[in-house]
Amino acid sequence: MEILIGIIDNYYYMVAIILFVIGMYTMLTHSNMIKKVIAMNIMDASVFLMFVAVGYAHGSQAPIIREGADVIYANPLPGALILTGIVVAVSVTAYALSLVVKIYRYYDTCDYDEICEIRSRE
Amino acid sequence: MGFSEHFPALIVAIFFFAAFLSPLLYRWARHLSAAYLVVTLVAAFGMVIALLVQVQQGGPVYYHMGGWSPPWGIEFKADPLRLYVLLVVIGVSLWVFIYALRDLHHELKKAVMGWYYALFAVLVGSMAGIALTNDLFNLFVLMEICAISACAIISIKEDRECLEASFKYLIMSAMGTGCFLLGVVMLYMVTGYLNYSFMQAELVEAFNHYPRNIFTAAALFIVAFGTKAALFPLHVWLPDAHASAPSPSSAMLSGVVIKIYAFGLFLMFYEVFPPELLKTIPLNEIVLWLASLGALFGSVYAMLQSDLKKMLAFSSIGQIAYIFMGIGFHHDLAMVGGFYHLMVHAVTKAMLFMAAGVIIYSTGIRKIEDLAGIGRVLPVTMIAFSIGSASMVGLPGTGGLISKWFLALSALEIGRPFFVLVILASSLLNAVYYMPIVINAFMHHDEFENDFKPVPRVMQACMIVGMIFVVVSGFYTTPVVNLLEQAAELFF
Repeated sequence: MEILIGIIDNYYYMVAIILFVIGMYTMLTHSNMIKKVIAMNIMDASVFLMFVAVGYAHGSQAPIIREGADVIYANPLPGALILTGIVVAVSVTAYALSLVVKIYRYYDTCDYDEICEIRSRE
Repeated sequence: MGFSEHFPALIVAIFFFAAFLSPLLYRWARHLSAAYLVVTLVAAFGMVIALLVQVQQGGPVYYHMGGWSPPWGIEFKADPLRLYVLLVVIGVSLWVFIYALRDLHHELKKAVMGWYYALFAVLVGSMAGIALTNDLFNLFVLMEICAISACAIISIKEDRECLEASFKYLIMSAMGTGCFLLGVVMLYMVTGYLNYSFMQAELVEAFNHYPRNIFTAAALFIVAFGTKAALFPLHVWLPDAHASAPSPSSAMLSGVVIKIYAFGLFLMFYEVFPPELLKTIPLNEIVLWLASLGALFGSVYAMLQSDLKKMLAFSSIGQIAYIFMGIGFHHDLAMVGGFYHLMVHAVTKAMLFMAAGVIIYSTGIRKIEDLAGIGRVLPVTMIAFSIGSASMVGLPGTGGLISKWFLALSALEIGRPFFVLVILASSLLNAVYYMPIVINAFMHHDEFENDFKPVPRVMQACMIVGMIFVVVSGFYTTPVVNLLEQAAELFF
């Protein structure tokens, strides 16, 4: 019961982990390369969600200091880090998509299984 | 102090600067471009040596980026072990780059050469950063830079195999970095720090309250670094990627890129995780068993290959396992052996890929069975290949023996002779696939029939340098072993 309450209280972590698993599973098992790239983004996004969620405390506000106000501030560091992370993920995606385009020009397909079939026929 | 104070940051920065400048130079002043990168590499090598001298006199050097002290700012740390890894990375890169200047022209289009230099500089710079950084998020960013540039120096050749192999590599390493970042979140959640030293101090306390977070992070880190360094069951991307790449890229990827991730895992184990964790759950044991399986299976797979470069790539899976064994034994002698192997294998495997590159450059042969009698037409190359093979097997007189010797000694020291047998068996398996090539190359009764081009002198000189190094590292071991023992004292 305690575990269940813990999970319900921290449901945003669960969402992030479920997304992570979906992303990783799709990335490793799907044969379509575009889907692999999309899954890679889902996986990255889930980690970013989790990272940002870590910085938030219940009832906290944006970390802009106001004199005399008695409030809890959210941790700004995860947000700043995740901006960097998003940039990195975008560049990896761009590079992966450019590879898919080049592969498509050679084989006329983005499906990994079909590519293997074409190669085994040669 | 003055200028030399900034060396830790400059070692990384000058490479990224070079990555911007060298394609421009290639467009406007072509003959300066390569020379500029060579100067950069030499300068970085010099700075590492200067730092090493400084560190040996006055202890570890810390550098705070932009003057922001940790835990807020990014910290770079220079201790003997990191500088040793840096020496290997930059030294091998310089050597491979000089070789690449002659070999690349027949594998790449002229228009992309400037970009290749840029990617090479980014790759070396990011590896230097991985070795120096003391901050987990910084490590993540540098690992992604390293992954993209490592994939890009494969796909720059733009033929079908290279594109497919680098896509596979990219997806696998994206999985690795995804796992790594999730692990970082798990640790950040319970500590609130990203700096290694602060985190370790905090984790000692947090381990009592949140052990599950730390276990999860440990598992994720093993998967992350294991994927990137091709630890046995996670190695599937490596053979295609390393075999299809242009030869200088193969030499870089097999020689240094996979090592830097093994070193990353070492840092996680001993500089981030609290010492109690390694006692509570058998992390070292997991790595040790995976490494033992890798050492055997890598060699078995290599035996089945008919393509020379693919065989060398599979052999890397077997050899990286020795470095992981150095982590797995959790003993100072094993650490010396593992890190000695890091250097020896970096040089040897780079030299073997260079030899394969020369064979492809000169004759166009990639199949192992066509190599019969090639020793008569390419003597220097095949002598280099033989010495490299001897070092892979671990014959006396080569560096390969020394690292296996240390690993075997520590296996006996901790009372587990079974792993001596594993090391012996994998050495024998290495001999089974390396020696026939060497014997066939020199002792084949027929003349070599294929056409061949003369080998440029620069390429031959590079291989001679490699040969000398492999032999010297087999006899004159004192300075490196002393340095590593000094480094091991900080950890055990």
